[in-house]
Amino acid sequence: MYPQQVQHYLRTFFTENNCQFVNDTDHYLTVQLTIDMDKRIMNRPYYWQYVENVGGVPCPSQLTLITDQTKLKENIKGELVHFGSPRLGQLFQVTHEMGTFIQMFEQVEESNKRPILTPWLVVNYKVSYYSNQTKEMLHSLGLNLMNGSIIKDFHASLSEINIAPELPTNAFLLPFVIKPIRGLERLDGVVENFIQNDDHSWAEQAEKRWQRDIRVLEFFYEGVEEKPESYEMEKTALQQQYEARIKIEIINGGLFYLK
Amino acid sequence: MIIEKSSEWAEGLIKRLENVEPWDNWTLYNMSYEIVKNNLITEFTGLQSPKYLTNLKPLEHQLNVAETVIERMNGKAILADEVGLGKTIEAGLILKEYLIRGLVKKALILAPASLINQWVEELHYKFYIPAVPYKKNTPLEHCEVVVLSMDTAKKSPHRELIFAQDYDMIIIDEAHKLKNHKTKIYEFVQSLKKKFCLLLTATPVQNDVFELFNLISLLKPGHLGNYEAFQSAFSASKHDLEHDDYLKELVNQVMVRNLRQDTGIEWTNRQVNIIPIQFSNEEKEVYEMIVNLKNISPIFSGAFSMITLQKEMCSSKEATFLTLNKMRQNCSNPEENASVENVMQRLMALETNSKAEKAYEIISQAKDKVIIFTEYKASQAYLQWYLHTKGITSVLFNGKFNKNKRDYMKHLFKEHAQVLIATESGGEGINLQFCHHVINYDLPWNPMKLEQRIGRVHRLGQEHDVHIYNLAIDNTIEIDILQLLYKKIDVFEKVVGDLDDILSAFKKTI
Repeated sequence: MYPQQVQHYLRTFFTENNCQFVNDTDHYLTVQLTIDMDKRIMNRPYYWQYVENVGGVPCPSQLTLITDQTKLKENIKGELVHFGSPRLGQLFQVTHEMGTFIQMFEQVEESNKRPILTPWLVVNYKVSYYSNQTKEMLHSLGLNLMNGSIIKDFHASLSEINIAPELPTNAFLLPFVIKPIRGLERLDGVVENFIQNDDHSWAEQAEKRWQRDIRVLEFFYEGVEEKPESYEMEKTALQQQYEARIKIEIINGGLFYLK
Repeated sequence: MIIEKSSEWAEGLIKRLENVEPWDNWTLYNMSYEIVKNNLITEFTGLQSPKYLTNLKPLEHQLNVAETVIERMNGKAILADEVGLGKTIEAGLILKEYLIRGLVKKALILAPASLINQWVEELHYKFYIPAVPYKKNTPLEHCEVVVLSMDTAKKSPHRELIFAQDYDMIIIDEAHKLKNHKTKIYEFVQSLKKKFCLLLTATPVQNDVFELFNLISLLKPGHLGNYEAFQSAFSASKHDLEHDDYLKELVNQVMVRNLRQDTGIEWTNRQVNIIPIQFSNEEKEVYEMIVNLKNISPIFSGAFSMITLQKEMCSSKEATFLTLNKMRQNCSNPEENASVENVMQRLMALETNSKAEKAYEIISQAKDKVIIFTEYKASQAYLQWYLHTKGITSVLFNGKFNKNKRDYMKHLFKEHAQVLIATESGGEGINLQFCHHVINYDLPWNPMKLEQRIGRVHRLGQEHDVHIYNLAIDNTIEIDILQLLYKKIDVFEKVVGDLDDILSAFKKTI
């Protein structure tokens, strides 16, 4: 993420969370936090406990975030925020927490007939391969909870549909044939199946490198009766360096009622 | 294969379906997806880090090093670029890449005390890595990236505190300090877990090939075999390398080294001059009297102290006097004492210093900023006085100065003085690209020290050809030093690669 992308992100994030801007430039911004946001990101639980116990006037913080120090001419004190900074990491985490489960409805025009909406379970998966290298993949899967059909790359297709969190008046929602939790199991299976059929030469190569390095290490300590602690240490290090792991994470998802 | 997954999301979904908790915000949902999508690492290979580093334009060779270390060396390597090519940048690129890829969560950086702040600043400003300089009460468990000195790290209680952490990456700057496997710091680094590890040094071989063996055995024990195997294969005598090519091949699997000439950057030239100097008759006489002292008193028969005295005599009478006087106090026999006193009188009666005169001649011809390196503090003081009598302004510099004083001295040199006189220990960690004349007033035994000295001025940003003057007095120990320097450079070239002209391109003619 470039500084201007970070700036854009911060602006949207705080606007969505109803925080007012005190200063808003292209390289830094000062934002008045809401009570809820202060509790989430300012890490001062005792203050809030105190205020609530004595019934004091709450005073949520103002936060100044600088995204591009090189453009800073004013004498502004604030936190430097950039990709990789702890603050941005924290805001990503908050975004993630606040955007994990969604229920959306296609906005259909009222016509003579009562519109019928079909439920879909949508799950966005991130799959990561780790050894001494990394590769990540994103799978956005949609499952029709009426007939079990599955659509890949579902998130991208949503951009063409007019959806909103409100149920359109008069719309009829079809009941689930497949329960959402069973649906989730099916989608998990799709992802696992994908992983199984993927090319895993990366893991084989890592295993080869691992074995080769173990042989090198063994050679160093050849003939040493009582191996020192550093031998075990090196072995652990090699395991952590090369061992192949796969991680499946769910970024977010939810129910979509579509025509 | 290990597959990790969590059931957390399923539980959260059930709560929403049962209306226990509310559904989330659509915009934040989209943002969350976009963040993951934009930051997705779609390939095992290639560097992600450069696109995030807006304050840095890495050079081609630096990017190549980062890629090679990560992809071919699996994150364990000696970064051995010549001085001034940006080893810190290379290490920063590699660290950043691993942080982005989630393969490193915690990193430990060991650097000389004088360079700690420079590391912290570069990591912050150029790499957006929140590195912390280690202080007494730094809570290591909360610091992702910490920088501290080897001297601190190896001592209790810091040592234990470091061992209690789980570091994924260890970076060691000026790693040639680990060349001796019998030291405490070597043992300390050996017991650290090294999942990923970078050793930075421009001078992986200083004296003999065992130093390289020790470094590589820290990084990848066994890569060069164990000690016995290595010794029998590679050393009949320490300077004689039989299996050069084989060794070179093995070394290149764990070491990257860029030379100035292959960086594609237009480097200015190095003009190395050996300046032979003749002692005056009086100086020569005193020099020989000193050499002769070993026949007069057993105090002077030790090779090491005699060599020191000879070297000092080639530097200044002030330096010689201090040592001579100290040694005289050990002479119990009055006759011996008297002989030494006699030498000291003759020494102090000397009115000229031929080498200092030559140095002055070079300075006045250069009509420009000059750095003089000497090995002795007494010579340093003498030279300042001597140059002052000739109307030449100078500032002193040594490694014990703290950062503020260093910066101030550098400033004084840049703005006000013509000459900077530095002792050996002032060689590291100061960059003086605005100057392009270096006088090696005394020669060190170690060619890499010479390279470190020259590296202060001959680095990125130097716009002029760099002139180096190596002063050596004929018919003295300095000629032996020169020859030994050539021999050592030869070992280095066989194993590591060509060295820029440190001494002179015409070495065969000596």
